[in-house]
Order: sequence, then C-alpha cells, then structure tokens
Amino acid sequence: MQNKKPFILLFALVLVLTTVLSACGSNNNAGNNTEASNAPSEGTTEPAANDGNSEELVIKMLLVGGKPIDYDTVFGELNKKLKEKVNAAVEAEFLDWSDWTQKYPLKFAASEDFDIAYTANWAFYNDQALKGGFLELTDELLKKNMPLTWEAMPAVAWEQSKVNGKQYMVPNNNPEVTDKAVLIRDDLRKKHNLDPVNSPETFANYVKTIAANEKGINAYNAKAADGWKWHELDQILLEQQNEWNLVDYNMPLAYKLDDASGKVFNVYDTPEFKELLKYYKDLADNNAWSKNVVSNKNDVWQDMKAGKTASYAQNLGTVAMNLAELRREQPEVELAIADLTPDKKKIAAISTQNGFGIHAPSKKAERSLKVIDLLQNDKEIHDLFMYGIAGTHYEPVGDDKFNATAGTPNFTGFSNWGANSPLNRKDASFPAEADAIADAWQQKVYNFDLETFVFNDANVKNEVANIGNVMLRYAIPLEYGLIKDIDKGQADLIKQLQAAGIEKLQTELQSQIDAFLASK
Amino acid sequence: MNRHGFLGDVRKNKTLLLMLIPAVLFFILFAYVPMAGIVLAFKQFNYGGGIFGSPWNGLDNFRFFFESGNAWMVTRNTALYNIAFIIVNNVLQIAAAILLFEAVGKWFRKISQTVMFLPYFISWVVVGAIAYNLFNYDVGTLNSILTAFGLERIDIYNTPSYWPFILVLVSAWKALGYGSVMYLAAITGIDTEMYEAAEIDGANVFERIFHITIPNLYPTIIILVLLAVGNIFRGDFGMFYNMVGNNGLLFSSTDVIDTFVFRSLTTSNEIGLSAAAGFYQSVLGFATILLANYAVRKYDKDHALF
Repeated sequence: MQNKKPFILLFALVLVLTTVLSACGSNNNAGNNTEASNAPSEGTTEPAANDGNSEELVIKMLLVGGKPIDYDTVFGELNKKLKEKVNAAVEAEFLDWSDWTQKYPLKFAASEDFDIAYTANWAFYNDQALKGGFLELTDELLKKNMPLTWEAMPAVAWEQSKVNGKQYMVPNNNPEVTDKAVLIRDDLRKKHNLDPVNSPETFANYVKTIAANEKGINAYNAKAADGWKWHELDQILLEQQNEWNLVDYNMPLAYKLDDASGKVFNVYDTPEFKELLKYYKDLADNNAWSKNVVSNKNDVWQDMKAGKTASYAQNLGTVAMNLAELRREQPEVELAIADLTPDKKKIAAISTQNGFGIHAPSKKAERSLKVIDLLQNDKEIHDLFMYGIAGTHYEPVGDDKFNATAGTPNFTGFSNWGANSPLNRKDASFPAEADAIADAWQQKVYNFDLETFVFNDANVKNEVANIGNVMLRYAIPLEYGLIKDIDKGQADLIKQLQAAGIEKLQTELQSQIDAFLASK
Repeated sequence: MNRHGFLGDVRKNKTLLLMLIPAVLFFILFAYVPMAGIVLAFKQFNYGGGIFGSPWNGLDNFRFFFESGNAWMVTRNTALYNIAFIIVNNVLQIAAAILLFEAVGKWFRKISQTVMFLPYFISWVVVGAIAYNLFNYDVGTLNSILTAFGLERIDIYNTPSYWPFILVLVSAWKALGYGSVMYLAAITGIDTEMYEAAEIDGANVFERIFHITIPNLYPTIIILVLLAVGNIFRGDFGMFYNMVGNNGLLFSSTDVIDTFVFRSLTTSNEIGLSAAAGFYQSVLGFATILLANYAVRKYDKDHALF
C-alpha cells in the first residue's frame, strides 16, 4: 500500500491537470474557433497568372453532400480526360449533408485551400459573395476560359446570378420550377376509397383517414428538427396557394407575385395564415403527424421507404426520383405524386439554384473556369461527372436518357448539379406522371420583375438573427398544432416579431425592393 | 534557503518543469495567442480586411444579444443549470467515491467503477438519440411501459417543465464515473494511519467518513468547484443542442447562451456577433471566478486558487 501512494497521487495530479486544461480549453473554445478560422484570411485576391496550360494543376473542389462510394474510380477516369484537355486534375472535398451548413461558411472564413466551390441561392451564394468569398468573374475571364459555356448559357441566366451587378458564379443551365409536390402512398389511398389528392382539402382528408385507420404509420412527416424555419407545407399551402413569394426563407416577409409595386407584408399577420393555422390544427388534432415532429431527426424519405410514413413534401425532381427508386426496389408499394396547387402560378427556378463559384484567393482561377466549362458542356466529361462510368453506374440510353444500374447508388447524392446543362440525361424510368406535372408547370411559369432581387441584410443583421429565432421558437410549434390556443399563439408570435424588429426589417426590405424596381 | 538562485531552482526541479511544458504550450497556443481575436467583437468582419483590418463598429455586435429580449432568460438558464450541475454532480461523485473506497471486494469495485465510467465516453449525439428513443411520445420506451400498465402517456418533448430534471439527471449520469475517479484518487491519498488511529479509538464507518475522509477532501472539492464556477456562464453546447435541438416549445426552460447564439447565427454567419457573445460570457465568467476565489480566500487562505 505504502509504495502505491506516490503513483496514486501522481495519477490524481494528472487528472486534475487534465481537468484544468480541458476546463480552460473549453473556456476559450468559442474564441479559438473564430480566431483559427480567420487567421489566414488575409489572402489576396489575385486571378491566376497561368496563361496556357503548360503546367499541370490540381484543382481543388468543395462539394456539398456525402462522398460517393466510387469517388476514386470515377474521378480517376475524369482526371484522365481533364489532363488530356486542360492539363488539370480535380480533387473534391465533400461536406456531408448532416453538417454542411456549419462547415461551408467556415471553409471560407478560414480561407482554406480550394479553387472551386459548389454554391447556390440556398447554399450561401449571396452571403459569401457579399462577404468577398468568391472571385468576381468578368466577361473577359469567362469568354476566354469558358468558350463552351459562354456559347450555351442564355444571357438571362448570367443576369440572374449577379450580386449587386457583379458576377460571382457560373450558374447551372437547366430551367426548372421550384414548387413543392407531395409524395403519397397511393395504395393506401385506394384501400380507403379516397379521392385523388390534388388540393389542400383532399390532402387533409387523406392524412386524416390514414392517421385514423393505419396503426403505426405517421400520415405525414417532416424533418422539423433541422432548423428550417419555412417548411415544405408552408411553401405549398401558404406561398403557392396564395401566389406569394417569400423574399428569403429566414424571414416571414413576402409580396404578391402579381403586385407590380412589390409591396411586402408579414405573412404571419394575414387572414390566410390564420386560416392555415386552423387547417394545421385540425390535422394535428387528428394525429396527422407525430406529437414529436419538432424533435424528429430521421430522414423522412427513409421512413417512408420503411413504411412508417405515408406522405411527405419535397421538390418535384426529388419526389420523382424517390418514386422511381421505390418502383425499382419495392414494386409492390404504390406511390403517387400529388400537386396540391395545380392551378396556381409557378415560379421558375432562377439560375442560382445550382452553380459553381471560384474561391476568391484561388491562384488557379483560369484553369478552374476551364474545368467548369468542360464539366458543364463537354458531353464525355459531363456524363462522367454527372452519372459516373457508363456500364457501371448507369446504362446510356441514346444520347439523352439513361437507365439506373445496381451501381447507381455508388455515385450519387452530392451536389454535381452545378454542372446541370442541356446535356443532362434523363432517367429513362423517370415517372411519366412527374414529367407530365413538370410540363404542366412549365406552362404556368410566371415571370416577374422581382425574380432576381437579392436582399442585402448588412444593415439589419441583428434583426434578421432575432427574427429567425422567433420563427423557430414561436412559429414552428404553432404551425404543428402544439399550442392549444392558436389565436393566442398567433398574437404572441406577432408580438415577439415586433419586439425582434420586424418593422425595421420590413422598411429596409421595402426600400431595397423599391430601389430595385426603380432601376429596372 | 535560496542558495543557488533561480537557475539552481530550475536545475533542481527540472523534471517537474519539463512536465509543465505541455500545459504551458497549450495555454500559450490556445488561450493567449487567440486572445487578440477579441477585437472581432467590436468589428464588422469581412474576408478582405481579416481580423485586424476589418472596420470597427463599436458596440453594434452586442446589440443583437441584448435587443433580442432573451438575454436575461438565457443567462439565467445557463447559470442555474450550471449551479445545479456543480452541486448535484459533485455530491454524487463524492458519494460514489466514498462508497467505492469503502466497498469490499476487488471485483465488485472494478466492475462498478467501469459501469459508472462508461457513459463518459458516449458522445452527446448518441445520448440525444438514446433520450429520444426513451422519451418520445409514440414509440418511446417510457411511454410503452406506461401504456402497458394502463397509464396515460406523457408528452415529454412538448412539456418544458420536465426538462430541468432530465438534463440534470443526464449530466450527472454522464459525469459520475469521471468525477468519482478524481475524488477516489484523493481519498486513496489520505494517510492510512489516521484511519487506523480512528479505528483504535472506536470510530465507526460513518464517523470515519465524516471526520476523516470528507475534511481531507476539502482542497480537492474547492479546486474542482472553483474551476467549474469559472465556466458557469458557458452552457454545455453539445449536451443542450443534442438533447433539445430546435424544439422551440422547450426553449423557455432549456435555452442557454450557447444554443441561443448558435441558433441565431447559423443563418447570418456573422462572426462578429458570435465573438461578442463569447466575450460577454468570458467577462461574466472572469468576474464570477474572481468573486468565488475571493470568498474562499476570506474563509481559508490556503485553499484559494490564487
């Protein structure tokens, strides 16, 4: 016992020291992070000096999404082609879907070494462009390095992707509609003899019937716990249904699509929202969704595949892919795509829905642009980047279609969409009904002046931060019917928004919109 | 006494000083060097200017926090939770350490220690998932058991009042093993002759514990509590975020400074605003530790940190 003592004392000392260290370490964590992430950001913005392609370069790419299983094989093949054509190789870094929103801005703040970054209006494009994260792309730069793209891209797509009149992105070249559709279990609908789902009322009827009769199935589900403040159903039932457009999904301010003066209003303070709350409350009271929906962390599509969820809302393209996937894997389950607002005006995706930007400090900007040019507009390279290796990851069908193979899941799921172009192949098994809906939507696309308006929140960032918080804390539980008295809930929400400075934000937004419209 | 001067002291204690080097380096690198970053709290950060070149904007970055109307609520929550954690965790850890020390049977001791230590290694993400599976309304273990006995389900994820208890409990469960090892080590260091003497004088187990073990633990308790007090205005982000997430209904009783700031700023990514919030926490923490240390000093000079 006696000679054990020094060791035990030493051990205690080490433990205490580690605590001291870790205690003080965490003490400074917040500071460290900000510090570490900013230290090297004095990098100068200098466009590349390499003119020809004499020197072989490795272009680093920042992509969003999980790293595909067959990354090495496909990118190996891709790099052979790129070496031939522009003497370059690409090396991609993937930011997983689970935490990309936290990592992506840090990559810029820390000024890490990368040349190309995937970006989009929903992936920090305006934010990073305004903060100086992207290199400005002048017409000369684009013309010189991106001959194919310069040829193929419509002028309006360039125009739509400018921030304060300057180009920071090579947008994708692929018109689509951003409206959301709902995926439902058509077999269950038929089982209960329900009308086809094509309006908010028929949808309510569907979810209520499922909730009442199908044990162990959530009639509707959403991933409410991920911090989004404007949910898919809000988009369908409030925005699409009333033909409004929210300026930014982080603040509850919208204008009417056909209002040429672009007058903004608080969507939570409208009779339409009051009606919607009753609609939601009715669904919630009939157990249309789990009581714990705001804590749900599961992937809703996976729940639906497993037969635990009977409907969810997403982009048309996504639900169509889901439908095709399930037809392949579980042909006995019958799904259908429902459009709840078929007769309303549709909003076309502006070109910034997907794209690639050049990191401001990159020294390989010109070569990077050449690479993007090929990714988007060189048939062979585009096919590789978008679909993988022919025969392994997809089966080409003619020039513009493909069939999925057993290898398809090994090269998918990340944001190669920045290279979308007319060269895209269509899934030959893409559901005909989704095509029909997409075609019908294209007919109803409504173009309006404010389409390309971008809000600069520099003067009101305090208000934006606080209002986002109020939406999460007061609006989401209210919408999911978790607050008993909806009138009081709505009054509270509006009161909190006012305290958070919604009026100041609205005035600022309105004055920017007025200036934007005046300059048109 | 000091015959060899400073260099002599260094030579004499070279092993100890060598052992100190990693800690010193750690603090210089991770605490003192980044301290200059505090200026960010007073700046409108942009990539072009970087940390030192960005323009000053006075106290603008602090406005967001105090104008939100939540500053008081989240500060209060943070402090109350941490006080509860400090008291509950330390009492349980000391109790566990004493029980382990008094326990007979080597195997029993080792096994219970391992079982207690295990939760320390489970990440908060996993703990959050476990909690969700225990407590959720539809298929949670707790509610399944309740319904099996014919009782009403309880809606834990929509009821704020349960959460202070759950969080304190989970925190205690997770920290018990680690903390008790520290106290156990301190107990093992107590001179055994004192126990022998006490036994001869006829002291029973409880008298030994209350008159020898606990008084001898005071220095350790004071150091650990003082260190914890310095962090009283920092919420354990991993814990609160993974247990509660973005569930707005629970915020009134679970929101701490760290989660509030994180949630507000993931949309705007303004580094200046988060730096301001961190600065606010540091100032409050600094003040509390000075105060606590002063109080300890008043009571007993030898036990104070500085």
